[in-house]
Amino acid sequence: MTRSSGPHLSPDQFEAWLIGELAPELQQHLEECQACLEQARADREIADQIALLPLMSPGEGFADRVMAAVAVPDPFAIRSLQATRRRLFATPKSLAFAASLALLLLGSMAGSIAWTLTHQETMASIGTWLLSQGGQAAWLGVRGIASNFIEQPWYDGIRSLVETPARLALISALASLAYLGGVFALRRLLAVPTQQVAHAGI
Amino acid sequence: MLWARSGQEAAYRELVRRYERPIFALLFRMVRDRELAEDLAQETFVKALNAIDSYRPEFKFSSWIFKIANNAAIDHLRRRELDTLSLDGSPHAETPEAMQATALQIGARQESPLDTVEAKELGTAIEAAIGTLRPEYRSCILLRHVEGRAYEEIAEILNLPLGTVKTYIHRARNELRLSLAHLKE
Repeated sequence: MTRSSGPHLSPDQFEAWLIGELAPELQQHLEECQACLEQARADREIADQIALLPLMSPGEGFADRVMAAVAVPDPFAIRSLQATRRRLFATPKSLAFAASLALLLLGSMAGSIAWTLTHQETMASIGTWLLSQGGQAAWLGVRGIASNFIEQPWYDGIRSLVETPARLALISALASLAYLGGVFALRRLLAVPTQQVAHAGI
Repeated sequence: MLWARSGQEAAYRELVRRYERPIFALLFRMVRDRELAEDLAQETFVKALNAIDSYRPEFKFSSWIFKIANNAAIDHLRRRELDTLSLDGSPHAETPEAMQATALQIGARQESPLDTVEAKELGTAIEAAIGTLRPEYRSCILLRHVEGRAYEEIAEILNLPLGTVKTYIHRARNELRLSLAHLKE
């Protein structure tokens, strides 16, 4: 009992012994070392005494006082839905109005579906016409922008910059680099701190 | 927690009901004044519940709320240095009624009157000894041996390395043993 093998246990190891996780070789040391054994027993005794301290509760009405000071969020969607429902079911007249409105909406939807199913050729021709009109309008727009661009006084200067394939490649590379740099800087700026439980520091 | 985040009052009340005792007990033993501990506990819950949207579910809610409570206690102790435990009531109580109202209430779990007296004496002595510890040791030992929190959770709550937490707990027990040695004589 009085002989000890190796150095005394560290605070970490005494904690491990208290929760029954001390390594077997250290357990062996504990059984042989009087000083460590006394320390371990004293640790357990104190831990047991502290664990027996009485339970404590705040005074009556503590939860009410907390709740009175807390702003309980009331989601807007739920609130407005509840208010609308209350208004619609308030009188027989408002109920009849709500029913008529619902009937009108459902009727028009059903009518629209039925018409579409019975006039598929008409719908197809309208679709084709809309597509061709849209294409023409887009082409006109592109041509207008291009001619406007060509008429600008700085157009020749810009054009001379990208006249050869090598220059075009260089300008493209520089533009790509600037874009990537911008994206990288933005990500660094918008990065969320990741320190553990840092959010609790309120 | 999901209910609480969606803002349901019943869920908020449930959180208060579940944590009011441990949070209050920790704060009471940290600041050693019933009235003040209740104020700090209320402040803790109000802060936590008003900031529930910033709570991150990957962490334990208990760690989060204990951290807020411990910060509140440490902030208070830094502002007002209370070094001695008044078993007769708050050191700030000015009237006998106030002293009575803020006095340390020690309950006993034993049944016989002799045991009750002994347990009361021991409990009072332990409470007093805990009151003399450094605030960091006090938080560690209370969270470990009164609240039964894991070492890792204590490290998270107190923002300390795991090894430091274990060392603090070990030293705190040694200091308590020395403070209580006279009871054994």
